[in-house]
Amino acid sequence: MKTILWSVRLGLALAVGTVQATAAAASSEETHDHPVQLGLEQGRIAYVITARNWAVYHRTPDAKGECPRGFNDGPREQFSQLFPNDGTKRTLLETQLMREGRQWFPSPEPEPFKFKELAGKVSYGLNLDGQVKDNDFVSPQGEAGIDNQLYRAIGCIAAYREHDGTSKSSRNETLRRYNYNRFIIEISDVDSLIDDDRVTVKSYRGLDPLMTDASGEAFLPGGTQEIDERWGGFARATWTGRIVQGVLHTEPADLTLPAAGSFGTTDNYSLKAYRFRLALTPEHAEGVMAGYVDVEEFIHHVNMTATSLQSYGQLSSPSLYRALRRFADGYPDPTSGEMTAISSALEVEFVRVYLVEPSTPAKQSSRVSRAH
Amino acid sequence: MQVGKRVGPKRKIWLLSGAVVGIAAVLGLVVHFLPSSGYSGEIRGTEPKMRLMSKEQYINTLTHIFGSNLRIDARFAPMSRKDGLLANGAAVANLDAGKLDQFRRTATLVASAVTGPEYRDFLIPCQPKDEKAADAACASQFLSSVGRLLYRRPLTDEQTNVLVQVAGVGAERLGGFYSGLAIALEGMLISPDFLFISDSYEPDPDNKGRFRYDAYSMAQRFSFLLWNAGPDDALLKAAESGEIQTRKGRERVVDMMLASPRFEVGTRAFFDDLLDFEVFDTLFKDPQIYPSITGATIVDAREQTLRTIVNHLVTQKKSYLDLYTTRETFISPALAVVYGAPAVQGWTAYEFPEDSGRAGILTHLSFLTSHAHPGRSSPTRRGKAVRELLLCQTVPNAPPNVDFSALNNPNPAHRTQRDRVKAHLENPVCAGCHKIMDPIGLTMELFDGAGVYRTSERGNPIDASGDLDGTAFKDTVGLAQALHDNPALPSCFVRRMYSYATGGPTTHDDGPYLDYLNKTFGEEGYRLPELLRTIVLSPAFSQAIPTEPAGDEISEPGKAGNLTANALQHEGSR
Repeated sequence: MKTILWSVRLGLALAVGTVQATAAAASSEETHDHPVQLGLEQGRIAYVITARNWAVYHRTPDAKGECPRGFNDGPREQFSQLFPNDGTKRTLLETQLMREGRQWFPSPEPEPFKFKELAGKVSYGLNLDGQVKDNDFVSPQGEAGIDNQLYRAIGCIAAYREHDGTSKSSRNETLRRYNYNRFIIEISDVDSLIDDDRVTVKSYRGLDPLMTDASGEAFLPGGTQEIDERWGGFARATWTGRIVQGVLHTEPADLTLPAAGSFGTTDNYSLKAYRFRLALTPEHAEGVMAGYVDVEEFIHHVNMTATSLQSYGQLSSPSLYRALRRFADGYPDPTSGEMTAISSALEVEFVRVYLVEPSTPAKQSSRVSRAH
Repeated sequence: MQVGKRVGPKRKIWLLSGAVVGIAAVLGLVVHFLPSSGYSGEIRGTEPKMRLMSKEQYINTLTHIFGSNLRIDARFAPMSRKDGLLANGAAVANLDAGKLDQFRRTATLVASAVTGPEYRDFLIPCQPKDEKAADAACASQFLSSVGRLLYRRPLTDEQTNVLVQVAGVGAERLGGFYSGLAIALEGMLISPDFLFISDSYEPDPDNKGRFRYDAYSMAQRFSFLLWNAGPDDALLKAAESGEIQTRKGRERVVDMMLASPRFEVGTRAFFDDLLDFEVFDTLFKDPQIYPSITGATIVDAREQTLRTIVNHLVTQKKSYLDLYTTRETFISPALAVVYGAPAVQGWTAYEFPEDSGRAGILTHLSFLTSHAHPGRSSPTRRGKAVRELLLCQTVPNAPPNVDFSALNNPNPAHRTQRDRVKAHLENPVCAGCHKIMDPIGLTMELFDGAGVYRTSERGNPIDASGDLDGTAFKDTVGLAQALHDNPALPSCFVRRMYSYATGGPTTHDDGPYLDYLNKTFGEEGYRLPELLRTIVLSPAFSQAIPTEPAGDEISEPGKAGNLTANALQHEGSR
């Protein structure tokens, strides 16, 4: 994840291009002042995702301001508390398998652990419901009514720490490695990347590897992504929106976000009423996607990683599940009235690509084989 | 055995221990007056050569024999470039202990793989009666058949017997048939009979008092030129039957070889040499300045140009001259990022847009990146490359006391590269050479050191006007057309191709025949296959001018001779 904050970039969107060009010209005799020129193609521009992480805002040393009671315990710590090494004889079924079962058959019944929820007031995200409520956050820029209760649940779990969380590094690694994760947005009807009062945004899943630069770390704009719909167009969604001072704002729409984790295991996210706020340049797009995520689905994603990996980030799935249920704030169950989804925000980065229509499934499959 | 005498019956397996073997051809002055279709002037034959096999020839040959599944990781010392070609350097290469060790290591791996359990059932045509013991019959069957392909002629009975003995001793000492066989195969792979491509000659029965290359030498001359690999079974059969020594037979063989997919490999090898593409093995671009130039970009840049050449000259049989103006090419995803175009995975046909500033292979990344500095462009290097590689003109190296300060510490008032290189033209020591390089290279300033098209340098418009031998142009498309129309372009190509085909630099005496080749090349539309066909079917390719031996061992007309491993053995024992 770049250290540049998207929030800062949002605020400075208009100035970014000028600043970058000026700095580059001063730093080098060549090339930085004349990269490959990428312009709009018949009013269209496409980007592929290169980073996505659940938005977490940690600004105090060791997050002590946001998490004054520290970070939550993980599976290892909880196991030690439940089953101290006191000579008691216990079976595998009563211990490890029981805790694994708690992950896959989650329950809101209380556990003997005190969950440390986030205490901060500032959060990334968007005002999803148009209201300003008591439990809403304030954005880093001071905007009230930010809905991001997911941050309240995960904000004091080490795996999700903003800069060095194990979940973040793991997910970004798998996002880059597996082509299944190529989430693409194409903005069309664009007259200007600075201001346009009506644009259309469509999403797709792509087929191709990301193009990295000579360092192997950054992504090059100008790569190509071929649309991959061999298993249907589930990633297709459409938004209407506008561009204001270089920032894309869209209306909400439901989205199936392609996701493949460890060993390429696929586990898509069904995101509800998701919307974009992205700072746009001809080469990159950066900002947030925000909306609601289903609680059961979110915890299923957590469980798709091994308990050993969760332990590295002190992420206890049973404890998190209970917190998610408590903080859920959207999509009430029509029968019980209980909230089934939780407000959330993804920090995202995209790089500019050429988008091409799909070739034959056979050709696509052969390319996938080579890529892996 | 000595130069100028027939090969003696006694040959031994060479397990070289590091003797330095210098091979240098002595210029022969014999001129033959031989008829050739359409040409009535003098055609010189060529001196017999002994060339060290290149890494690519080594790999291609073994791949053809043992199959492409056998991964051959060969790392051999580079040849020296001589008269514009590495191939000419192969004829003056030496083989010292260090180089021999490189060959030995590769030979060990290849022999081990061929006789190993994964491939032996496919590559060895028989099975021993007992895997733990020697089996002379099976060893003989394998070694004689493989030896014929490796040595490019049938093994003598004595050669086979020695190899079988080596395999037998190896089997006994190492406790297995296949281990012994590996020792014998390894010995063949480091034998001069395999590593050195040597010409043997014999009296020409159709031209009394003159010499021609023997049938097996002709087979390997054809094969290494057109396929960049040793001859296959069909070619050796054409040699064994004597067909290759007849005009009609040679025509059939050459046409068969030109129609083979392996001709693409031979074409690639020649252009890789001609265009100095070995620089890609060590090409470096500063990742801070050119982040888009990755390792994949560099590999693909070389491949793009070779792919374009093969498609243009071999597949479509188009004019060599048009190679410098065509916008048709191929791109990969790594290249597409730099060219600013979409490209799906793999290689796809692509045509540079008319307004891209690109036309011909000089505007490919291969040329633009390899003839530039790691962190900036270089009009001088690019201009020099055009002069030397494509027009066969020699640009002297910069004098040792040249002052580079004007370039290394540029005056901020100099807005573009054109301003900076003016220093060259103001200094009379530099001006002589730079006047012929810079007007070409400054036009290519439309591309930075990474090959990215630009119209300005740090915000300052680039003046891309230039001149090539009196033809003015304003951009790279104009330069491409001027090069296309320059008579030195095809004549240089003919000279390089003739030199590459005959194994050594051209001389003044080759002039009349080169003039003839230039004429026919133009009349036939500057097409590569036709030019090659003319060259390889000419007496210049098949006639030998024996090297004059020293002392009392003078070659006598009517006797055969060669430059073979046996000759080397004799020389080495002196």
